[in-house]
Amino acid sequence: MGLLFRLSVVVFVYLVFGLAMFWLSVGIVGKKVKAVPFLLYTACSGVANFLAVYSVAGLYTGETLWSYIIDLAYSLVIYSIEAAALGLVIRKCYKIPFLHGMTAAMLSHFIIYTTNSVVAGAASTYSPLFDRMYIYTFITLVIPALWALFVAFLAAYVLRRSGFYRYFEALFSSRAKTALIVGVSFMLMFVWTAMSWFFPNEEPNALYAVFYFSLIAVVLLWVQFMAMYTAGEEKILVQQETIAQQQAHMELLEELQQEIRAFRHDVSNLFCGLALQAQEGDLEGIQQFMKKTSSYFDEKLGNEIRQMDCLNNIKIYPVRSLLTTKLALMRQKHIQGTLEVLHLVAEKQAVDTPDLLRGLGILIDNAIEAVPEKEGQIRIVLLQEEKELYIAVVNNYAAEPNLNALSAKGYTTKGTGRGTGLSSYRKILSRYPGCIARTYLKDGFFVQELRAPT
Amino acid sequence: MVPVYICDDEQPVREQLRKIVSGQIMILGSDMGPVRAMGTPEELLELQRQDTVPAIYFLDIDFPGQTSGLSLAQKLRRYDPRGFIIFITAHGDLAFETFRLRLEALDYIVKGGFDAMSLRVRDCLSSIQDRLRDEPSGQGRYCTLKLFDTVRHIPVDDILYFEALGYKHALRLHMVGELLEFNSSLDHFEGQLGEGFWRCHRGFLVNRSHIRLVRLKEQIVELDTGGECPLSRKAKAAYRAQERKEALKGG
Repeated sequence: MGLLFRLSVVVFVYLVFGLAMFWLSVGIVGKKVKAVPFLLYTACSGVANFLAVYSVAGLYTGETLWSYIIDLAYSLVIYSIEAAALGLVIRKCYKIPFLHGMTAAMLSHFIIYTTNSVVAGAASTYSPLFDRMYIYTFITLVIPALWALFVAFLAAYVLRRSGFYRYFEALFSSRAKTALIVGVSFMLMFVWTAMSWFFPNEEPNALYAVFYFSLIAVVLLWVQFMAMYTAGEEKILVQQETIAQQQAHMELLEELQQEIRAFRHDVSNLFCGLALQAQEGDLEGIQQFMKKTSSYFDEKLGNEIRQMDCLNNIKIYPVRSLLTTKLALMRQKHIQGTLEVLHLVAEKQAVDTPDLLRGLGILIDNAIEAVPEKEGQIRIVLLQEEKELYIAVVNNYAAEPNLNALSAKGYTTKGTGRGTGLSSYRKILSRYPGCIARTYLKDGFFVQELRAPT
Repeated sequence: MVPVYICDDEQPVREQLRKIVSGQIMILGSDMGPVRAMGTPEELLELQRQDTVPAIYFLDIDFPGQTSGLSLAQKLRRYDPRGFIIFITAHGDLAFETFRLRLEALDYIVKGGFDAMSLRVRDCLSSIQDRLRDEPSGQGRYCTLKLFDTVRHIPVDDILYFEALGYKHALRLHMVGELLEFNSSLDHFEGQLGEGFWRCHRGFLVNRSHIRLVRLKEQIVELDTGGECPLSRKAKAAYRAQERKEALKGG
């Protein structure tokens, strides 16, 4: 066999594996397959493989135990490097967190290498010995690789069709879950190595193939189930929160109703007196009465009604409920809270609603924390403009906030360990490059502004 | 002279306000004027272009027709970022916080009796007078920032330093009493601001006039406001070389 032939087979097999790994991983995270990241990854893994093979080749000796150890160490290193490389490429090109990409890569690795090894094992056992090595190479190397590629395509297609990527993220919602999924995927990557170590002389037969393929199916099902289960759990949490917020809204309405009832009572009493005065022709008294009562309605109900109008202007319902809850909380704490929403706030914004909720929630919580104990004031402004959504949260303060320290990580005026809000606010903003955040002091008020493109 | 404009669609209100404002300017003896009153936003926008800025604007908040007080004020601001805007309203329940923050409106005046309005106008005008006096006469340099479709002019003296945030093209601008995060690059500002600023670190561009001292050993640049910037090894070496050169020159 010529060197050229060997080389081209090796390159071809690498390319096929690279494509299979890339295709399946991208399918798991639910992104479009693009040429540049694929080539980038293939180049990285190719170089890594080449170096590893080169450095390991000299270490093999006749001893079986020693070569097993080298084998294991080799796969430990090279597999991890491959998965990490793909994770990095996915992070760079698709803006997906590194751990997500790497987990997807490890799962793909498991599926593809297991498939390939099973088919390759069967092929090398059952293929008749040819005197022409070309066909033998073709059967034992190329066909298994192509078969693995086919399986990768199939798995990616199924995962895409079932919308798996929507649940995949839920697997990383907490630290424990992340550790579990990453750990399991990592171990799965070495299933084949471990198996061939424990049962080195296993004859590949039908049972053996069935075992491996059902292992793949079970793993896929398990991951899918886990993902859907966690996603469902989160959905329930969100729903519970929505219910709580709606309850707060109801309470506000009830309060308003109570006040209207009291007001009606007042008014009928006042009018009785007025009627009496009119009967007596006491013009001056009536005038005085008018003067006194003209602002009465405004004082009594104006604030609540205005606030309701403002809330109704917000067409993003979750934001509306968030503000209702926060305003109720302020009332509870005897903080004077005002909301101003002059124009309709459109439902569709460039910032995703969950991120908008979290960001706004952090700003308001900070304001609630910072106001002085007596006569705290918080004003919230939302203004929809042609190209942007303007949000401002304004509060007075007990101690003047230190802007220098504010930009540092974890700043808070209330002792350590509570200042995680602002840094996660920054983290959220970093995902939306068009946003402008401004923090300043004005006339004794602390102002936090956010301008987000719509 | 600081021109004064009064824009209200109701003729009597307009006249009354004109009288009040002219009278108060006389009493204050300040260099404001001429006082011009008009009924439509278009007239005001045209007149604004013909005279100097900054100016003082008394605007009706709820205009009938397409142009609301808010968008009129936004148009005025675009041409006169440092002008003084005072809103006139028929009812007390206007959303003033929005105007105050978004347009940096100064105050608002509720339409009503002559005396009450006079009092309010006097307060507004005297506060404007104070601000005009305290403000540097526009001699200082400004740094221009384009934020969405508006341009902001920041006095260079107010700038402490620019900080590149970890993610792509995000900058945090530290000013006296203000933090601003937006998208741009340090290189852009290094070019715009020139000599007065020093790239003391790959991710920091600091205003030289706000540096209190450079602590070479700890690799920290201390600012007169109490903030600190890191000093990179490269910048430290450049600083040392500069120092030596100056010492030689002095010696």
